[in-house]
Amino acid sequence: MQAGYWIRSKPIYGGLQWQHKAQAHVIIASGEGGRAVLRLLQQQLPPQAIKVLYLPEAQADHSHALRHMLQDVLGLDLASALSRHDTAAALWLALDEVLTASRMGTRIYAAGDEAFLWQVAAQAALHGVLNADIMREQAASLARAVYCVHCKTISHHVNTNIATCSGCQRQLLVRDHFSRRLGAYMGLMIDAEEPGNVPDILEIYP
Amino acid sequence: MNKLDHIQAETAAFHHAPFNEETFRGDYSFHNSAKGIKRFPYPFEQDHYMYSVNIEPHQPGKPGAITEHAFDIDEHYVAECEDKRMTLEQDAGRYAALPHMMDAQWDFLELTMESLARDYPQYFSLLKDGERWTWHNSVLGISDSFIFGDASTLPMEPFEYMGRQTQGDFVLLDQREGTLFADAGFITSQADWSLAFDIGMSWHEWHGPVPQVDKMGIMDRALKFLMSLQQGKPVRRLNWTMTVNPRLDTSPEHYPEWGPDRLTVTAENAGQKAHLRVELQAMFRLPRSNAILFSIRCYLLSLEDMATQPKWIKRFHRVIRDLHPDLLEYKGIKVYHEPLLQWLAPHDDGAVLSEGAQLD
Repeated sequence: MQAGYWIRSKPIYGGLQWQHKAQAHVIIASGEGGRAVLRLLQQQLPPQAIKVLYLPEAQADHSHALRHMLQDVLGLDLASALSRHDTAAALWLALDEVLTASRMGTRIYAAGDEAFLWQVAAQAALHGVLNADIMREQAASLARAVYCVHCKTISHHVNTNIATCSGCQRQLLVRDHFSRRLGAYMGLMIDAEEPGNVPDILEIYP
Repeated sequence: MNKLDHIQAETAAFHHAPFNEETFRGDYSFHNSAKGIKRFPYPFEQDHYMYSVNIEPHQPGKPGAITEHAFDIDEHYVAECEDKRMTLEQDAGRYAALPHMMDAQWDFLELTMESLARDYPQYFSLLKDGERWTWHNSVLGISDSFIFGDASTLPMEPFEYMGRQTQGDFVLLDQREGTLFADAGFITSQADWSLAFDIGMSWHEWHGPVPQVDKMGIMDRALKFLMSLQQGKPVRRLNWTMTVNPRLDTSPEHYPEWGPDRLTVTAENAGQKAHLRVELQAMFRLPRSNAILFSIRCYLLSLEDMATQPKWIKRFHRVIRDLHPDLLEYKGIKVYHEPLLQWLAPHDDGAVLSEGAQLD
């Protein structure tokens, strides 16, 4: 956070909600994002086709619950409603296939950590999908991807206000200025003016 | 070929043109002539400063004024072009253009070549033979013949080609989805913002870090105004900040190099070290792409030079003394605010100053 004012490039995320004016619904989630999808499925179901693409994580695997919900509770055909993937590469390939086959009016929903949400945006952009047309929910972690403005390396899973750059090892102040194209916050050397003068490092993005 | 020989002969006479030998880094030998000081775009019309949408038509100003021509070429031209070259050599990411911006790139090349050749015929010439254009820059010793619209016939992309030969920074804004996107840029003298990070951002994202403006609705109004900008009716405004040492490349990329300079300002040396940095920002609607060219031309003035004009230095003291804390922080002045005021205060006798930025 920067004291005193709010940086407008910082994305604000809400919870997923069905967009009822639609031809079809594509939901893509990873790890804890599965819980956000389950919450979405508790809302009154839209009549159009629903497809969930899911990448479980070791610490957060909601595959079973998703399968029970879609098949046993909602009575959907699991083969078309859920595709579960073991690797990120397989997930992105599946998303590409789904978007290639989809028509105008397909609504896209994404749930996962922030880096994941903007990876979805980058993939979808290849199919002409605008950022504004994707619903997003930031699930669980507030961890940030941080772009080092000095060496251009992106450090992942940053939980603190100041982070060591994984590229050049500088201590970076994690700003609120966010690039949707990079899916990352700007990191700026904190002690450039006075080398060694680094404030306390605090965990504020758990 | 005959035509070109003729042009070369004609321009050869200007090789001793009045360009300063100076640097914007290292020994910082940058300096303004007496004429350079007088034409400096002093931005403060009142003793107090806050943002405003201070946009006016970019109409030709008086002869010799920085606004006489669409693009101002001044005594710093050669040194600034050399500084651009060095910055790009260190960090190629200062120039970037998303692929859909090629029409806008040609728009930029056309606008700058036509303007420079028309306004400074002693330095630049442009010959058109259908789509075959020949550009001659006698100051930098550049001469190229190319097919307009065919980037493979130029040594580099058209935006970069003319960006290197025109003073200032340039952003090409694509208009879509009800806003403007910064989809191409040539940025080597920026006041602490990163093209590599900001490219592709929408208007509001790009201006996100600017404090105090949001609640005033300034950015919304400026965007609305720019979206309806018409071809042939460019507009301009002034913006300002301060820089320690006359450095053009105050990029966040190189912040570790210039950041420490802020701690070297003392009440004794502020007159030489601290510079007022004014940007003449001009905006042009481009004909083919419907993009907007945002040009940002940087002028530097040391406080010592400013003090040769009593009205300017007195007012500057008051502006800096009373500046909003968020702006002191944003403009990077906070860390040397105290020595700066110590240097400025003795120059201000508190006299009532006339409204407006003009010299009395």
